[in-house]
Amino acid sequence: MPEYIAKKSALTDFFKALSAGRRLLTPQGAGDQCRLAETAPDQVKLDYVNTHMSPKTLFFPQTEKLMAFHKDASKPDANIYSCAGDKAVPTVVFGLRPCDARGLSVANKVFQNDRFTDPYWKGKFDQTVSVGLACAAPAPQCFCAAMGGSPYGLTGLDILAFRLEGGDLGLKAGSEAGEALLKDLKLESADLAAVFNSQQAAAIQAQGVAPDYRPIDEANLMALFQDPHWLSTAENCLNCGVCTFFCPTCHCFDIQDEQDEKGGVRMRNWDTCMSWLFTVHGTGHNPRPSKTERVRQRFMHKLKYIPLKQDGVRGCTGCGRCVAMCPVNIDIRAVALKMCQSSAPSQA
Amino acid sequence: MPALEDVAKKIRESAKRLLAEGRAEVVVGYRRGTIPLTTAPFFARTAEECDQLVWSNFARINLANYLPGRKKVALVAKGCDARSAVGQVVENQIPRDELYVIGVPCTGMVDNALVAAKEPRPIREVVETTDDSFTLKGEGYSVEVRKEEVLRRNCRTCAHRTPKLADELAAPEVPGATPDDFADIKALASKTPAERLAHFKDLIKDCLRCYACRNACPLCYCPICFVDETRPQWLGKSNDPMDTLTFHLLRGLHCSGRCTSCGACETVCPVNIKVREFNRILELTVQKEWQYEPGLSWDQKPPLTMFQTDDAAEFIK
Ligand code: SF4
Ligand code: SF4
Ligand code: SF4
Repeated sequence: MPEYIAKKSALTDFFKALSAGRRLLTPQGAGDQCRLAETAPDQVKLDYVNTHMSPKTLFFPQTEKLMAFHKDASKPDANIYSCAGDKAVPTVVFGLRPCDARGLSVANKVFQNDRFTDPYWKGKFDQTVSVGLACAAPAPQCFCAAMGGSPYGLTGLDILAFRLEGGDLGLKAGSEAGEALLKDLKLESADLAAVFNSQQAAAIQAQGVAPDYRPIDEANLMALFQDPHWLSTAENCLNCGVCTFFCPTCHCFDIQDEQDEKGGVRMRNWDTCMSWLFTVHGTGHNPRPSKTERVRQRFMHKLKYIPLKQDGVRGCTGCGRCVAMCPVNIDIRAVALKMCQSSAPSQA
Repeated sequence: MPALEDVAKKIRESAKRLLAEGRAEVVVGYRRGTIPLTTAPFFARTAEECDQLVWSNFARINLANYLPGRKKVALVAKGCDARSAVGQVVENQIPRDELYVIGVPCTGMVDNALVAAKEPRPIREVVETTDDSFTLKGEGYSVEVRKEEVLRRNCRTCAHRTPKLADELAAPEVPGATPDDFADIKALASKTPAERLAHFKDLIKDCLRCYACRNACPLCYCPICFVDETRPQWLGKSNDPMDTLTFHLLRGLHCSGRCTSCGACETVCPVNIKVREFNRILELTVQKEWQYEPGLSWDQKPPLTMFQTDDAAEFIK
């Protein structure tokens, strides 16, 4: 597949064409105000680090109504639930970072697979064209390469954009739909493989020497689970759940019903395995009674259970949000190294 | 200007001594963080582990939060944190003789959001040697920042920087800052109820209900917080503004007359909510009604935890 070029002088036209018939969302605002927002084609920015929250909020918001009913007895459907999910609108997101696109593809396999389809996620996800922007200069907290990704990775993206010298954008298709769209846009095509590869190599190098986390993949699950390090690893954890709320792959939710005199809703809200309430049973018994079990769950899920279920793909994509946001500096890279040690053959 | 390393040395020496003497089984302090602008709470149980203890301009978390239920514990504490620890003793969360306070007279801790506003470029390294400035380093730059310019707002108005009730001090005493004048809070009080509601709704509009503020707070030691109760469930769980506001208002009320303005709630909030606004209103009220400041005495109970038959109770009328 060849690559394409969107000329610097025609970037507004490119974004106009890309978003024809769709709303255009791009990262707007700096630092912790950076979020995906509806953008006019001439207002797209290329100089952000990453959005503060992960883009999962697009398909899986903090609170989402699933069903609703009213209590107006004069109508035949009184007190009967009907679907009330957010309306999906055709969307193109420009500027996803490759770690987040990969993260969304991990979450997508949870919400859409051969066993279930979540209509609320699917409706929005399937109507979204995902265009990434490669990270030529990864931020200090980034470690996507160590987690098996790349700052120029295409997983989960229809198209990946990368910046060329002089301000043009190189474009590479990541899916058939992306390829078809690029063809439609009637852009100049070019062979940019050499530029792409050298930019990618430099960006990976900028992340420093990647630790080798493969011992976790090879380790015995129970050996990892029973290792005594969890006690000290978890000791300073606040169990706040910030790590899970910010993570692009964390997807757990809690279903709640609420009603007033006029009607009621069934909704789902983000939940977090860091809360004791997440696992407490109706009997009062809690299989994860202390923060040690809860912290272990989070890291085992990211680094062992998800890879077991998703053909080796890790549940952490190295976006660095939890590392930057954890109030007490529980760093998944340090935890992963402990897990590597605990899986040494002598203990396996 | 004490060098941070000198303070750290003092902390390590004391920590080792307390462990060796059996006075403490664990020393709760700070270790260096894995990323710039952070430290991490650290639990030292051996002399070797004590060598990881540091002192820093980024020692923001209030370690008294880790005290309830512990035995034989030594705590590294700034002025505000030591007051929280005293409060926990007063509130029977830890017996006085199980606790040893290594106090660190403090010149304030850094607000990372202010640092980011000053230096938007990615920061790869922070070099700090004294407690009045530090150097930020990134791709092709190195800038010095004076701490005074990036202090957390609670630190800017902290009148009790020296932990006077500590069992020992790891650095020379420092003078307190000019106390909070509560000017904004007094101005708010003159607004209409509708304006005040709008103010509070705006304050919490980005809240994620992650409860990091509560979990980092040394006052929030309830085994089950009212927001987590399920039988009955007192509060909705969505991002509905009234439910979110109810959480903040009730938490504020529960902390009234107990909050030492350590700022842990604001430090940990991932979306920079000024959580302390709620506490400050009540801090002002308690100061006015009872001339009480928490954490300055080992035996004086917070006014709202007591009942006195001769209470004038003017404020209720
Ligand atoms: S690891 Fe950090 S962010 Fe996650 S629950 Fe624990 S304290 Fe909160
Ligand atoms: S675990 Fe942390 S670094 Fe990994 S994807 Fe989630 S938020 Fe990002
Ligand atoms: S830490 Fe911030 S976001 Fe989390 S519950 Fe408290 S105010 Fe809300």
